[in-house]
Amino acid sequence: MADRLLFSKTGRAKYISHLDLMRTFQRAFARAKIPIKHTEGFHPHPFVSIALPLSVGYSSECEILEFDLLERTSHGEVPERLTAAMPEGIVVRECYPAQRKLKELAYLNYIMNFDYPEGRPQESEPAMEELLGRESLVIQKKSNKAQKGYTEVDLIPLIRSWRVECQSDTMTVDLVLSAQNPGLNPELIRAAFCQSYPDLAPDFVTFHRRAALDAEGGLFR
Amino acid sequence: MNRTLEQILPRVQKPARYTGGEYNAVVKDRREVEVRYALCFPDTYEIGMSNLGCRILYGVMNQEPGVWCERCYAPWGDMEEEMRREGLLLYGLESGDPISDFDIIGFSLGYEMAYTNVLNMLDLAGLPLRSADRPELSPIVAAGGTCAYNPEPLAPFVDFFVLGEGEEVTLEYIRLYRQAREEGWSKEEFLQEAAQIEGIYVPSFYEPIYNPDGTLAEMRVKEGSGAHETVRKRIVEDFDHSYFPVKTIIPSTEIVHDRVMLELFRGCIRGCRFCQAGYVYRPVRNRNPELLAQYGKAACEDSGYQEMTLSSLSSTDYPCLLELCDDLLDYCAPRDIGVSLPSLRADTFSMNLMERLQRVRKGGLTFAPEAGTQRLRDAINKNLKEEDLLQSVRTAFAGGWSGVKLYFMLGLPTETDEDVQGIADLARKVYFAWRETTPNPARGVRITVSTSWFVPKPHTAFQWEAQITREEYQRRVDLLRDELKRDKSITYNWHDPETSYLEAIFSRGDRRLADVLEWAWEHGAKMDSWSEYFDFQRWMDALAACGLDGDFYAHRERKRNEVFPWCRIDPMVTPAFLWREREQCYASQTTPDCRSRCSGCGANRLLKGGVCNG
Repeated sequence: MADRLLFSKTGRAKYISHLDLMRTFQRAFARAKIPIKHTEGFHPHPFVSIALPLSVGYSSECEILEFDLLERTSHGEVPERLTAAMPEGIVVRECYPAQRKLKELAYLNYIMNFDYPEGRPQESEPAMEELLGRESLVIQKKSNKAQKGYTEVDLIPLIRSWRVECQSDTMTVDLVLSAQNPGLNPELIRAAFCQSYPDLAPDFVTFHRRAALDAEGGLFR
Repeated sequence: MNRTLEQILPRVQKPARYTGGEYNAVVKDRREVEVRYALCFPDTYEIGMSNLGCRILYGVMNQEPGVWCERCYAPWGDMEEEMRREGLLLYGLESGDPISDFDIIGFSLGYEMAYTNVLNMLDLAGLPLRSADRPELSPIVAAGGTCAYNPEPLAPFVDFFVLGEGEEVTLEYIRLYRQAREEGWSKEEFLQEAAQIEGIYVPSFYEPIYNPDGTLAEMRVKEGSGAHETVRKRIVEDFDHSYFPVKTIIPSTEIVHDRVMLELFRGCIRGCRFCQAGYVYRPVRNRNPELLAQYGKAACEDSGYQEMTLSSLSSTDYPCLLELCDDLLDYCAPRDIGVSLPSLRADTFSMNLMERLQRVRKGGLTFAPEAGTQRLRDAINKNLKEEDLLQSVRTAFAGGWSGVKLYFMLGLPTETDEDVQGIADLARKVYFAWRETTPNPARGVRITVSTSWFVPKPHTAFQWEAQITREEYQRRVDLLRDELKRDKSITYNWHDPETSYLEAIFSRGDRRLADVLEWAWEHGAKMDSWSEYFDFQRWMDALAACGLDGDFYAHRERKRNEVFPWCRIDPMVTPAFLWREREQCYASQTTPDCRSRCSGCGANRLLKGGVCNG
């Protein structure tokens, strides 16, 4: 099986899109002089693949990239050398041979932070608890395939667990969400909240991916 | 990152262009920095980051202890709207600090249609547009680049212009600025001293005096300013010892020229009579091929780029091109790095070279014959023979290429209908060349003919010429379209005439046009090189509101003795030489290239010993 990197993407790097990030990695491997396998074909290029693309603007400390290390480089030296060749905000934490299939990556742990710089309304916490505690929460999701232009999705079955924690000017929602087939983007939870409770809409919301988990809730790497 | 910025970014397209933090971006410790410089490019990040000149200046300045140069680009409309709404001032990408707090703001001016972006960026920075309304020493606003060769339309907004190559003069004026600040000079005192540095034009020291007919009577030197009669451009004399950006910023998002740019030489030996770059970048200075190979490899290693381009005004005129290409290919081919050669001449030598480069990757094939007949090509001194072009495309088609683009200009001096029809004939000959040589006739061929509307430029042999009228341009377009309509394999595109008309106005414009720029900007003009934003009627209204006639600038032929708005600017190519070249044009006589014979343009005076090494 392939090799993997575990990396974080924070700060200014949050705004690098998925495609741009792949290109950034391809160049960074070359800059760090770490030879990796190229694709075959007419326009060969270094092969890299990033599991479960992160939305632009989200930060993460658990991104996974697959590639094939060629001879002469040991896994241990990759993180430091590659990080030095990266733009600000991308830190390669680990490099290791893959041992599990990517489809075993079942859940993602997200931290969603609601900012209320003018002071958090008291009712926001029970409101969020009410929303996430519902039996079902069906929303309309844009879809190009569906004839109507949208499909209906129930978010509740895609939420494995949640916890709300509040301070005077923020509300933090710790979520474990289905990662794939189908996955749930926490943005949809924000949107559902703002739709149900427009008066409690925050000034700004940040999203952070904290951990990749397997079906049992253990760390996936 | 600034909190306001962080809230704005999720709402705009392509936010990565507004964050900085790229690989090799220079971040310095504010406490150790004395001079902060905002290097501004009045267009989007993708365009500005593709500019080699800015990369050079960025490197040159940041090598200097105590100086921190940051980048700044024009935000796209959605970002601008957010910035204005949230009160976020234009900031340097590296630090996020507002550029209004910087010491020097320097603009790179590459084309006239970016002028309104200069105004818009000053406004987004929270600064008054006009130099006179910025009485303090800092921030001082400078501008350089090709358009600075006629800086007059921007004169009231910019404190000083820099002529020619910036590697040395930039550090000289930064040094002077440091002294000015230490010794507490006023802005006026600083500008007076700056005007003594060769290559620096302070527009407020020159006053345009007009004749009743609207032409210039003189550009009067302001008494007591100490400003020079003429300001000479600057060049880097020893190109081997000038800075090359081996280690340069690698954007995290895609830009227009996303590859290693290897600059082979400066200047051009050809002397095409319409070409401003060909005149103002003289004399030719070549870089040593071994040095270039070394730079090229090092730049690939540091950047991780998979593509390299050999750039110069006419790359195939580089004397050691074959050796250089072989050397580079030995390195690039095994690493799957593509090497491309833009600005190819359509001759056999170039085609052999193309085949060599194809070892790695096959790009598109583009030629610029500029004119359809040999007579007109001779008149504009585009020394390209029809047979050379046809031989080149034969080689290319035989080698399996199935597409070629041909660029021409309409409205060149002395052009007749016969010359216009000549474009169609030439395109057809290219088509027959394909039929004769292609190994694969079933695949078909794509021949694209593109024409633009000729814009006469300052400091060229055609600086006295009238641009043909729009009706006449349209008539010639229609004529050519008619000629080509039966040829299914030939596609004809023509350039939008509206921007070419404005370019013709501003490229040879005087200081009165500053009011037009300001009026247009106040009424929403910005990003005028983008069709999403360009509004021709707004410009017509702006001219009318300022009581100026665009045709006076664009469509009027100048007399030999007319005083030009750029008469104080000296690119070291003499007006006498340019006039001679114009006369040669009317006689359909060519002038040999600089390597074959010196034509005495005057640029050799910039070199020690007075001999060009072209």
